[in-house]
Amino acid sequence: MKAAHFSYHEALNLQDAIKIKAHDDESVILAGGQSLLPALNMRLSSPTCLIDISKISGLNEIKIDGQTLFIGALATHSDVMNNKTVKNNMPCMFDILKMVAHPAIRNKGTHGGSIAYGDPAAELPALAVATNAEIIVSGQNGDRSINAKDFYLGLFETTINQDEIVVGIKYPLLKKGQKIVFDEVCRRHGDYAMAGLIANVMGSKNDIKDLKLVFFATGDKPDVADKTARLCLENGYDYDKLKNSLSTEIDFAGDLNSSSEMKLHLATVLIKKVLSKLEI
Amino acid sequence: MAGNNSVNISFTVNGENFNNVNVPSRQHLADYLRSQGFTGTHLGCEQGACGACTIEMDGKAVRSCLVLASQANGANLKTVEGFDDEMMEKVKQNFLKHNAFQCGFCSPGMLMTTKEILLNKKKLTRDEIRSEISGNYCRCTGYQSIVDAIEECINEIN
Repeated sequence: MKAAHFSYHEALNLQDAIKIKAHDDESVILAGGQSLLPALNMRLSSPTCLIDISKISGLNEIKIDGQTLFIGALATHSDVMNNKTVKNNMPCMFDILKMVAHPAIRNKGTHGGSIAYGDPAAELPALAVATNAEIIVSGQNGDRSINAKDFYLGLFETTINQDEIVVGIKYPLLKKGQKIVFDEVCRRHGDYAMAGLIANVMGSKNDIKDLKLVFFATGDKPDVADKTARLCLENGYDYDKLKNSLSTEIDFAGDLNSSSEMKLHLATVLIKKVLSKLEI
Repeated sequence: MAGNNSVNISFTVNGENFNNVNVPSRQHLADYLRSQGFTGTHLGCEQGACGACTIEMDGKAVRSCLVLASQANGANLKTVEGFDDEMMEKVKQNFLKHNAFQCGFCSPGMLMTTKEILLNKKKLTRDEIRSEISGNYCRCTGYQSIVDAIEECINEIN
């Protein structure tokens, strides 16, 4: 299908984009467009105006900023995958982004775009929540920092205000003994996951000291499962107990490919798969 | 309402200059290219899943159905019609040799994806080739012959 009519504005700079977005609550930001354009083409979304921020310079920086790894909103998935600073400080990022769509889409899709879009089936929002990342937004009153766990409210819904734009994400640098492990189940490499899990682990396979579990493609936003993580820490992996715990902790939402019951099963199995990746 | 329902842009396609052309804001790049006679860019799904519309934009493979024509302002584009350098001639010969074209609908996207694989200069196993082309649907070949062709290209070039 073809997109409905909208007007197009190429933003000259961030202030320009903020000004237009603030004054038109039906306008949306266009960064890489790899999630937005399919939605427009299928007419799932019909904004009045697209504010193209992709040519604003300085928004694709990747650097170490204090005790955090900062990734600028306009860095593409390919940029992030090929970046040495990311590789050295957050090795999990390559494996995670490899599962995001296909090379031609990763060449255009942006880090900030994926974070801001808030697709519950996307990997990066779950990663941001699992790592306790800060999302930096810029608006008419300047910048503010929002913790990822407070950023996602529901299906494609975030706490971002009408005048605000995501400019970057700050991931806390990993501490000694800390690891981010990840796995997902999908029908075809690069498709959206049927269920996925990002675990933030302190310790080793036989001696896990702390565990945080964040699921994606399970509910309407990244699903944190603290109770299940505690149960897993205390009792080890027990399929029936963990499944029961997950069913009370997450409101699983089935889709065309997998029922909520199937997602619950996959999520439970994913805990085992992810923990088996840890080193002894 | 800010912005415009159409915009004037300039860019090149296969080295040919397009100066100050007017495009509707909502038109995606694949539709624009096809309207200008570059019908080698095929449209399958228009949602980024099938890969038939994959072209080269500033040296990188992109889905032309997921880029607005207006976003191509200042860009250098290359479509399948422009794949005439020595490397791509070899790729086409290998596709012919292994019968990797068949109906031809996926071919422009497959050729572009093959180009990106070859430019990355990595030696890939057959499984890795399948993973690299996982973003391009083919409904005829069962992928076997396409993997054969790409494998031979990789062996020749590395």
